[in-house]
Amino acid sequence: MPFFVIFFMFLVVPLGYSIYTSFFTTRMIGGTVFTGFSNYTQALESGAFWSGMARVLLFAAIQVPIMIVIATFFAAMFDMGVSRFGGFFRAIFFLPYAVPGVVATAMWGGMLQTRVGVFVRIFEDLGLPDPNFFGASHLLGVIVLIAIWEWTGFTIILLYTALKSVPKEVVESAIVDGAKFSRIITRIKLPIIRPAIILVVIINVIGALQLFTEPYLLSPMAPNISANYTPTLYMYNEAFSAQFYSYAAAIAVVLAFVIILISTAFLLSQRRKGAIT
Amino acid sequence: MSTATMPDSTAAPRTERRTHKEKPDASALRIYGVRRRTVNLVMLACVVFAVFTLIPIWWIIVSSTKTVPNFNSTFGFWFARPFELLSNLKEVFSNQEDGSYLQWLGNTAIYAGAGGVGATVLSAMAGYGFARFDFRGKNALFVFVMGALLIPLVAFAVPLYLVYAKVGLDSTMPGIFIPFMVSPVSVYLMRVYAGASIPRELIDAARIDGAGEGRIFLRVAWPLMIPALITVFMLNVVSSWNNFFLPFIINNNNNLYPLTEGMQVWFWHTNISGSSENFTVLTMAGCMISILPLLLMFIALQRYWRGGLLLGGLTG
Repeated sequence: MPFFVIFFMFLVVPLGYSIYTSFFTTRMIGGTVFTGFSNYTQALESGAFWSGMARVLLFAAIQVPIMIVIATFFAAMFDMGVSRFGGFFRAIFFLPYAVPGVVATAMWGGMLQTRVGVFVRIFEDLGLPDPNFFGASHLLGVIVLIAIWEWTGFTIILLYTALKSVPKEVVESAIVDGAKFSRIITRIKLPIIRPAIILVVIINVIGALQLFTEPYLLSPMAPNISANYTPTLYMYNEAFSAQFYSYAAAIAVVLAFVIILISTAFLLSQRRKGAIT
Repeated sequence: MSTATMPDSTAAPRTERRTHKEKPDASALRIYGVRRRTVNLVMLACVVFAVFTLIPIWWIIVSSTKTVPNFNSTFGFWFARPFELLSNLKEVFSNQEDGSYLQWLGNTAIYAGAGGVGATVLSAMAGYGFARFDFRGKNALFVFVMGALLIPLVAFAVPLYLVYAKVGLDSTMPGIFIPFMVSPVSVYLMRVYAGASIPRELIDAARIDGAGEGRIFLRVAWPLMIPALITVFMLNVVSSWNNFFLPFIINNNNNLYPLTEGMQVWFWHTNISGSSENFTVLTMAGCMISILPLLLMFIALQRYWRGGLLLGGLTG
């Protein structure tokens, strides 16, 4: 009997989760059934939604590749033992993982703000004009910078541990065959950890498309951050400023759909190449 | 996701920490024939990136020792007299304008603690169940749970708020921390780890000895899963501690704010003209303190950290 009790618990925990999930999915559909698909058509035809969507896609297209390249470089160098004091640097690079996004944004926002920000002051001392970091042209770059600061270290550690798990024999035989340093990294190690890199890319793209905290926090100092700067910001404002809850839910569903579509398409394209099974 | 179909046996507990006893620099030079210049360039890159990482942290430490006029007028990366760290900290803990910092700190500790413990226990049970019990629909259920990984948090938030409003859980403590307890990634990690570290024979032997399933889980499986349990616990404490979006959507009672919400409110004060000038320095000091507990946790639990777990199942 106790077996069944425990067995039941094991079943119930994930099942509870699935009910939890399905419950909200039905709620969303249930909530929108009354108005038919009008909320969805409204979202899909809304320029405000798509301009935000275009912006986060651009954001992801800039931020994720830069971060992956930096992280892969450092992970490979640490793994090959090229860097002295590797453990020390890994610990420093990992630090931002313990810093909430709100705090990271407050720090960078404080350093870059007009008039009193330390970087603006340095520009002033050098006789240069105020670069206006929160102006239309630099704003997205600033958010990319903050996101890179927040997530690169964690990604380095993930890729580093993946690289560490590559069997030693593979590398040894490559050395015996006379393979060069750079070849060992690009032709042997990185292809082996490719599933890990793909996973990291997907996780970061999913995160990037939901961009919210950074622009929301910066919005008082950056007038260019409109109510629909990102789809999530748009959803938030429709739900809590305008009280259009079911429209906001429709925006969330469309956004989720786009995210699932992109990550599945990416996974399938990688699978076709034979990178993952 | 592809991860769901990977075999169980790939992610054995690893001890990657101890493998680097030899002088790394010399060995890379010798084994791979790396040029000295390359080594120096990599070193330079490391230093540059370390400076980039430390700049905001240094700036926030310096800023929280300043008076407001000094914050606005002196060089941001160096200290200025008078050194006001203590009075700033006092002000952080005594300011009551939007709620109390101490209360937010306590709230965050409760949310992160409950989220961390809850997620660890629930995913340990689910992961162990998936790894060591065979039941009908197991794989379908697992794929279903993993599918939740692809669904963005954003899609849950507003519906969650609406349901909470119906059942009276909006702006309540359990309403904030219960969602933190549900972590599909942790279920995945625990399944992989339980599969690799708990021998079936051991469970069978315990059953023959007449131990109940609950006892087997607590006495046999739990101790074997400890490294993974600690890693999962840390991951969930960090993600709950740092979470802003979910509490922000669900809760609008400033007595229940976590630190992230409190800091957001303070940070906004610094930018809205007419509010108390103090908030610039106050926000910096408050932000600085909010980072410390997690740093301490990492230092304390560092040797149990198995980052390799996260991707071990994919690469082994």
